[in-house]
Amino acid sequence: MKLQITLHPRLHLKPLVVILLSLMGIAFVIAMLRYANGIGAVSNLSNSYPWAFWISFDLFTGVAISSGAFLMAAVVYIFELKEFRPLVRPSVLTGFLGYMMVVIALLVDLGHPERIWYMMIHWNHTSVLLEIGICVMSYLAVLAIEFAPVVFEGLKWQKFAHFIHRFIMPFVILGVVLSTLHQSSLGSLLLIQPTKLYPLWWTPILPILFFISAVTIGLSMIILESSLSSRYFHRGLEIHLLEKLARVIPVVLAIYLVIKFSQLTIAGDLKYLFTGGLMSVLFLAEILIGAVIPIFLFSIKRIRQSAKGLLLGAVVLLLGMILNRFNVSWFAVQHPDPLSYMPAFMSNVHYLPSLPEVLVSMGIFSAGILAFGLAVKYLPVFEHEEEGRKTTS
Amino acid sequence: MKKNTHNAFLFDAFRCIDCRACMVACSVENKIPMDKTRIWVAGVGLKGEFPSLERASMVYHCMHCNAPDCLSACPVGAYSQRPDGPVVYDPKKCIGCRYCMNACPFGVPHFDYDKGLIDGAFIDKCTLCTQRIDIGLEPACVATCPTDALTFGERSDLLKQAHGRIQAHPDRYVDHVYGETENGGTSYLILSQVPFGELGLPALPSRPVKEVSEEVMGFTIPFALGLGTVLTAVAAGVHLYNQKKEADTLKLETSEPQTEETI
Repeated sequence: MKLQITLHPRLHLKPLVVILLSLMGIAFVIAMLRYANGIGAVSNLSNSYPWAFWISFDLFTGVAISSGAFLMAAVVYIFELKEFRPLVRPSVLTGFLGYMMVVIALLVDLGHPERIWYMMIHWNHTSVLLEIGICVMSYLAVLAIEFAPVVFEGLKWQKFAHFIHRFIMPFVILGVVLSTLHQSSLGSLLLIQPTKLYPLWWTPILPILFFISAVTIGLSMIILESSLSSRYFHRGLEIHLLEKLARVIPVVLAIYLVIKFSQLTIAGDLKYLFTGGLMSVLFLAEILIGAVIPIFLFSIKRIRQSAKGLLLGAVVLLLGMILNRFNVSWFAVQHPDPLSYMPAFMSNVHYLPSLPEVLVSMGIFSAGILAFGLAVKYLPVFEHEEEGRKTTS
Repeated sequence: MKKNTHNAFLFDAFRCIDCRACMVACSVENKIPMDKTRIWVAGVGLKGEFPSLERASMVYHCMHCNAPDCLSACPVGAYSQRPDGPVVYDPKKCIGCRYCMNACPFGVPHFDYDKGLIDGAFIDKCTLCTQRIDIGLEPACVATCPTDALTFGERSDLLKQAHGRIQAHPDRYVDHVYGETENGGTSYLILSQVPFGELGLPALPSRPVKEVSEEVMGFTIPFALGLGTVLTAVAAGVHLYNQKKEADTLKLETSEPQTEETI
C-alpha cells in the first residue's frame, strides 16, 4: 500500500489514509465527550485505578518509542559517526511526533488540561512527575529546533537552515541530557509505590533499568521505522547501517539482564520468579520476549543482514519491552482488595480499559502516523540518504 | 482555648459499632454528597460460627502522615502540611494528574470522574476539619461519634491513651498502635482487636515511603550538570581528533601522491 494524498483534481485518498482519518475523527469526538462529561464518561478509570491504559500506552510507551531521536543525534553529532547521518532526520521526526502525541494524550487524561502550563510556574522539587513534565516540554522545544532545518530546506530557506545548523551542538547536548533524565525518571515515577508495585519490578534502580531498556527500544524503533517507510515510500533500505545498530542491541540487552538479575538476587526476590502466579508469567514473558529472544535473533549475522530478520527482531523486542512498560505502570501495580463494603466511589476495583479509552489512543497514534507520512512527502526527511552513501563509500 | 501542637485522631476499632454517623456528619459539615464522602467505613464481615459471631469495622479517611507521600508526589505543590498536622489540598493549583492517588499508600485521595471541564474535576480528601479545629471544635466525625470510637487531641496524649488501653486490656487489643511508626508516623492512630491487615491497612515500614523517590530526585541536578559537561568534553575531543586525523591524511596525500596506488 502506498501513502498518496492528491488534493487535485479531486480529493483522492488511499485506504490507509481514510482509516487513519476516521480514527482521528472518532478520537476527537470522544475527547469532546470527555471534556463535557468528565473522564469517567469515556473511560473505566476509577479511584482504584487512577492511572492505567492511557498512562501505560500514551506516556510510558509513547516516550520510550521516541528515544531513537536522542540516540541518533548523539551518535552523529557528538561521536561524529557521520555514516549514520541518513538515520538522524527520520528519528528526530519520529521523536518530535512521538512527544507531540504524548502531550496531546495528556491533554485528554489530565483533569485540568488548561492548567498543564502550571508545571512551569508551580514547582514542587520533590516530585518526579514535575521533572518529567519540565524535561518533556523542554525536549519538545529542542526537537523542534533540531527538525527546523528540514522544514526550512523544504521551504527553500537555505540561509535559516544553515544558521540553525551552525548552532546545533548545544541543543544536541541539551537534548541528550534531557532525554537521559526523563527516560530514566519514568522509572522513578514508580519509586513512590513500594507497597503497591510487585517486588519483581520495584527496585531503587528502576531509573537505570528504564534508561538501558529505552536505548534498546530506540534502536529497534529506528529499524522498524526505516523498514516500514522503505516499504511505503519505495526507497532504499540502509541495511548496512541498521545491521550496525542491530549488532549493539544484544550487548545492551545483556547488560540489562545482568543488572536486573543481580538486583533480584541481592534483594532476595528471585523466589517470586515462579511463585507469583500471573505476576511471574508477566515478568518471564517480558524478559523472554523483550531481551532473551532478541539477543539470540540479533546475534545471528544472517538475520541481521536481511530486511525481514531486522524487522522481526525489532518487532519482538518492542513487544517485550512495551509489555515491560505496561507491567510497571499498570499490570503489576497492586490495588487494595475491597473489604466487604465500600462507598460507591471506591467500588470499581476491577479494571479493563473501555473501548472509547482505547480509541482515543488509537486516534492520537493515527495522527502521528499521518503526520509522519505528510512530513516525508513534503519535506526532505530522507534527503541526506545520497550524501550519506557518498561519505561511506 | 488551648491549641494542639500536633492534632491527631485516635480510632478504636473495638468501640466502633458501624453506625456511620461519622459519614453523615462529615457530609453535612463539609457539604460533600454522601456518595463522595471524605470518610468511609469498611468491615471485614462476619467471622466465626453462631453463637460466637464476631465482626470488625474500620473508619477510613486521610491518615495525615507526618511525611505525606501525596505532598511529595504532587508536581505543582497543590498539597501542603500545616505545622499542627493537617495535610491540606489546594484545588486552585491542581492540574488533575492523579499522581497523588498513586502515591498514597492508603488510597485516600479521590477524584471527580463525573465532572467535565466546566464543572471542574478535583481531588478531594479529609482536611482534618481545619475550619473547626481552628475555632477550638473537634472534627465533625469525632464530635458525632456516639461510642467515642473516634477521639481527637494532641498526638502524644492520644498515643499515651492508646498504650494505656492496650495495657488495661491486653487480651482485647493487638499490641500495636497503627500509625505510631507506619510511614514515619501518622496523625490518625488506630487500635484494633483484629490484625490490622484484616482491616485493610497496608503493612508499612517506619521509613517514609517517599524517601527513596526523593533521594533519587536529589541526584537530578548534579547528574544533569555532570552529564552535560562530559558530553561537551567528548564532543570537543572527538571533533579535535577527527580534525587532526583529516589534516594528517591530507598532508600524507599531498606529500606522497603515490601512496594511494601503492595501497
